[in-house]
Amino acid sequence: MPGMFETFGRGGGTERKPSTLAKLDRVRKTFRHEEADRVPISDFFWGKFRDRWRAELGLPEDADPYYHYDLDFIVTVPNMDPHIRDFETIREDDEEVVVKTGFETTIRKRFDLPMPEQVSWETDTIEKLEAFEFDDPKDPRRYLSAGDNQIAGVGDGFERNSPPWVETVKSLYPDFPVFGSVTEASEICTRLLGQLNTLMWTGEYPERFGEQLLRIGEFSYEIAKAQIEAADGLLDGLVIWGDVAYGKSLFMGPTYWRKYYKPTVARIIELAHQHGLLVMYHGCGNANAIFEDMIEIGLDGYNPLEAKADLDVVTLRERLGHRLTFCGNSDIRVWERGDPDEVRREVLHRLRAAEGGGYVFMSDHSVASDVSGHTYDQIVKLVRRYGTYPLHLPTE
Amino acid sequence: MADLRELAAAIEVGDRTSAVRLTSEALQASVKPQEILDAMTDAMGIIGRRFQDGDIFVPEMLIAARAMKEATAILEPVLVEAGIRPEHTAVIGTVEGDLHDIGKNLVGMMLKGAAINVIDLGVNVPAARFVDAAREHGASLIGLSALLTTTMPNMRAVVAAIKAADVNARVMIGGAPTTPEFAKQIGADGFAPDAGAAVDLAKQLLAAG
Repeated sequence: MPGMFETFGRGGGTERKPSTLAKLDRVRKTFRHEEADRVPISDFFWGKFRDRWRAELGLPEDADPYYHYDLDFIVTVPNMDPHIRDFETIREDDEEVVVKTGFETTIRKRFDLPMPEQVSWETDTIEKLEAFEFDDPKDPRRYLSAGDNQIAGVGDGFERNSPPWVETVKSLYPDFPVFGSVTEASEICTRLLGQLNTLMWTGEYPERFGEQLLRIGEFSYEIAKAQIEAADGLLDGLVIWGDVAYGKSLFMGPTYWRKYYKPTVARIIELAHQHGLLVMYHGCGNANAIFEDMIEIGLDGYNPLEAKADLDVVTLRERLGHRLTFCGNSDIRVWERGDPDEVRREVLHRLRAAEGGGYVFMSDHSVASDVSGHTYDQIVKLVRRYGTYPLHLPTE
Repeated sequence: MADLRELAAAIEVGDRTSAVRLTSEALQASVKPQEILDAMTDAMGIIGRRFQDGDIFVPEMLIAARAMKEATAILEPVLVEAGIRPEHTAVIGTVEGDLHDIGKNLVGMMLKGAAINVIDLGVNVPAARFVDAAREHGASLIGLSALLTTTMPNMRAVVAAIKAADVNARVMIGGAPTTPEFAKQIGADGFAPDAGAAVDLAKQLLAAG
C-alpha cells in the first residue's frame, strides 16, 4: 500500500538532464529571493490521492505526479528510526496490520483510514528515555540498505522493506532536484514517547526533559551529517521535519523552544549550508512565534504554512519581507472542495507572495485523497500559467 | 489548617503531589467538599484563561489538569457521599476515520476541570456511538474533534444523527481544519479553537440550555 514517501525514481546514475538543471536553477533562485523563469511547484502526495488522480485522469498505473507534471523538487527519507530493525508484526489481516517499529512503538495501521494509530510506547517514563540508547546515526544500513523504517513505511500507506535510501536518491537525481531529510527532536519524541508524554514531560520536568531534547538533537544532527556524506554530493537540499506548533501557537513556550530545540535546528542549517544545501523546515501549525528565530539562524524556506492555522503567505510577506522563502500555504480545504472558481482565486492569491521570488507553490500540508485529480491538474496549470515571471496576476 | 489558596496554587503550577496532599488535608479539616471543588475549578478557570491569553502553553495546561484529576480522585467519593454530582455530562470523541486524540484529550481534561462529567469515547467514533452514549449518560453536551480535512466532513454525519435521534444535547466542534463557519454549516452549536476556549463555549452552551 504505497504512501507519501514511496518516491523511488525512474532514472539512475549521476548525470542530470538539462531540464533538471533548469529546475535546480529555478529553485535556487527562488530561495535566494530572485525571480526565476517561473514559480517552482512541488508537494507531498498521499498514496490514495495518486490512485484517484490516475483513475480520474485516465493515466497508466505507473503514472506519478512528480514525473507527469515535471515538479521542481522531491524529498526523500532515510532510515531515521532510533533502532535499526525490521518491523515485528503483532497482527495482520485484510483490514489492518499492527507492528512494533524501530521506535519501539506499537502502531496499528488500518488500511481504510488515512493515518496510523500509535498504540503504545516502550519508552513511557522519563527514566526509560534517559536510559534509551540510539543506534549509531552513522550506521551505513540507514542509507545504503533496504529495510523497514517507520517514517517511510507507516503513514498514509504501509510499506515494508523500503529501498536503500541512496538508491532512491540516485534514481531521482537525473530528473529532480533532490532533498534529503532529517527528523528533529519534536518528531522523534512524538513517535518514541507519544505526543502526550512529550508535552506532559515538557511541563513536568522542563530542564531534565530539555537535556533529553538536546541529546536527541545530537542524534538528529549526526543523521543529517551522515546522510549528506552517504549521498556524496547528490543532494540539493535538506528538509528538517519538526512539528512544534498547532493551530493556535507553539505547543511549548517560545523560550523553551529557543533553549532546547533551536540550537539543533541552527546546527543542522549550518551543516547543510556548509555543503551547499538549501534547507526547508517542515513545521505544521501556527509557528509565528519563531519565524524571526528561523530567519536569525539562516533557514532558507518554511513549509507548510497551514492556512487552517490562520497563516497567509501574502500577509507573512508583508511582515517578514524577503528574509524567508515560503513553501506552501495553499489551502487544502479549498482544493478538497474543488470548485474551479474558488480554486482559481486561491491559487492567484497565494501567487501574490511570489513577487520578487521567495515563494514555492505547495499545498498547506500535503495532497490528501479528498482532492480530485482534476482539481490538482487545474492547480498545476494555473501555477504554470500565472506563475511565470514577470508576474501579471489578474484580480482574484 | 487547610489552605484552599495553596491548593489552587498547586493545581495552577501542576504540582500534583501537593494538590493531592492539600486536598486530603482539607478533607481532614472538614472543609466542605463543594468548597474544595470550587477552589479546584477556579484554579482551572485561571489556567484556561492564561492559556487563551498565551501566557502558558499546552504542557503547563496538561500538568495542571493532571494535578486536578489526581486531587479530584480523592475528593470524588466524598462528593458522591454528600450527594454532589456534576450538573452536566459531556460526551466527547474524535469522529470516524480519525485517530488523533491529543486535542480531544485536552478538551476532556479541561471540561473535567470545570466540574463537567466527561465520557470520552476515544477515537474513530461512528455517529451512532455518539448518539447511544449521549442517551445512555443523559449528556447535555457533545464534543466532536477532527484533525484531518478528510475526516472533518464526518462531523456533519454526527450532527445529523444527533438531530435525527432527537437527542437533547448541544454540539460543539474543534480541531485544526474546523472553523466557526463550518460549525454553522453542519448545524453544530459552536466551535472552539482550543481547549481553554472549549470550556468557555461549553459553559455558554449549557447556560443557554
